[in-house]
Amino acid sequence: MSEAFLIMMWPFLACLLLPGILVYMGLHVVRREIIFVDLALAQVAAMGICLAIVLGHDAHDWQTTVWSAGFTLVGAVILTLTRPSGLRVPQEAIIGIIYVVAAAAGLLLLSRSPEGNEELRRTLVGEVLLVRPSEVLHTFAIFVVVGAVHIFFRRQFMLLFFNPEQGRSQGLRLWFWDFLFYVLFGVVVTSFVRIGGVLLVFSYLIIPAVSARLLVTSLPAQIAVGWIVATVSSIVGLYCSYQLDLPTGAAIVCALGLTLLFIAIGKYVVRSR
Amino acid sequence: MNTKFLFIKMILAVNLLSGLAMSSHAKLNVVATTSDFGAIAREIGDDLVQVNVLAKPTEDPHFVDPKPSYIVKLAKADILIEGGAELEMGWLPPLIDGSRNAKIELGKPGRVLCAEGLALLEVPATLDRSKGDIHALGNPHFMTDPINACHAAERICDAFSALDQEHSATYRQRLDAFNKHLDEKLVAWKKQLEPFQGKRLVAYHNSWPYFANRFGVKIDLFLEPKPGIPPTPAHLAEVITTMKRENILIIIVEPYQNMKTAETVSGKTGATVLEFTQYPGGVQGTEGGYIELIDYLVNTLATALSKERSAEEHKP
Repeated sequence: MSEAFLIMMWPFLACLLLPGILVYMGLHVVRREIIFVDLALAQVAAMGICLAIVLGHDAHDWQTTVWSAGFTLVGAVILTLTRPSGLRVPQEAIIGIIYVVAAAAGLLLLSRSPEGNEELRRTLVGEVLLVRPSEVLHTFAIFVVVGAVHIFFRRQFMLLFFNPEQGRSQGLRLWFWDFLFYVLFGVVVTSFVRIGGVLLVFSYLIIPAVSARLLVTSLPAQIAVGWIVATVSSIVGLYCSYQLDLPTGAAIVCALGLTLLFIAIGKYVVRSR
Repeated sequence: MNTKFLFIKMILAVNLLSGLAMSSHAKLNVVATTSDFGAIAREIGDDLVQVNVLAKPTEDPHFVDPKPSYIVKLAKADILIEGGAELEMGWLPPLIDGSRNAKIELGKPGRVLCAEGLALLEVPATLDRSKGDIHALGNPHFMTDPINACHAAERICDAFSALDQEHSATYRQRLDAFNKHLDEKLVAWKKQLEPFQGKRLVAYHNSWPYFANRFGVKIDLFLEPKPGIPPTPAHLAEVITTMKRENILIIIVEPYQNMKTAETVSGKTGATVLEFTQYPGGVQGTEGGYIELIDYLVNTLATALSKERSAEEHKP
């Protein structure tokens, strides 16, 4: 046990500091029913990484970050343009298509690269166990900036999500705020994907948000419940990963899933009494 | 926030207690990256060492999934034995960083690089990613040549002796016994494969040049178009044509490689698929150790080749 603390400290800090903003954005995403938008943006960013690797850059070079960010930006533009406005196609369909095509394109690109399979797996499950202190701190700094932007423009973002009609009548340029949201969202998702992988990002976004919506109604309360769910599940997941020697990211995802299950059962029992 | 600090405090308290409980252990704590080094370390260390192996013998040593226990094992290690030819470079360095164990840092007597001092094959003239998963130091699968295993055993023995001088004579004795046994076996193995000199075989991945060189067979046709790149239809078609033209009837596959690809090719050519492994325990019958492993490989290959020969002789 004497190593447990040293070994799990940085994964632990990563899982405490970083999901905060994911939980908050998850509440927006669930509310707007664009649940798979993070998978789509993460996959588009991963496609950028794949292309950079094929062009001969290393996964950790700055060029790779630029490619990945550029692709995310393009993804954000597409998502903004396809915001449902009388189109007969639901946006969820577009999001699904972006995800699948980006994933397939990544596969095609990496089939020419020797470490292709390895990189693909890494984008999926991440390596939260081996996260470097500098990675945690950099990502946290990025998240603080994104969080600050969200707090500064909270009026506009709230209107965008909860009352777009009223926003439009107040002269809010919805497309701009939509675009800004997707860009910030893309930045958050892609920087956390490099640490935790697509599965963990999706879980931190959606599961605490869904749990919170099962229990409480006001946004501040939902944020609080979401954070508690994320923190408790992270601790349980990390503990089990260490004690039972399981892959860390997957253990946290399952802990989140189990927490949601318990909350749902608990709610059912309380209600049926 | 309170829960967080409570959790940290609890962990710290347990750490202190368990730290006091285990103060000294007499056995050398050895960690090997793969089971071939592990088997030789057991041979030489025997009752004087405790050996842990990181990669499963059925796992691709290029890509190993990191788990918390690996860092724990590395943190407790007195000695880390690795190939040192970039085979483990994708996963080992971050695990070592995570273990924060000064004893196994590069250059310390507790870090054994088995390839050090060996002349590796296929050292590339230029490094170019477009040629596939090329290793700058040469082909890292050197342990399939028993002579290289002797070299690795010597390096392991040196490290044991340096860190546990009290028993250095015992280690030296066991090394000599191991080398003697291996030398005797080598004569027998060579004799067994003598009738098949120059035979050409197909392998999934380029892991066998050392084995091929030592035993006089040719393993230079691969199902992978380039090392580490999954087989493509066009490349497989080319391999099948070559196999038919040259009447090549054996395909070597390792446990973590795609059996289906090999079976497809075998279905088109009538070739036999042989389960090979570089690691003791990778295939049933190789669990005993390094010598049992090579025994298995040579026997399997000799049996398949002699069957092929007798089938040819009986053709009208």
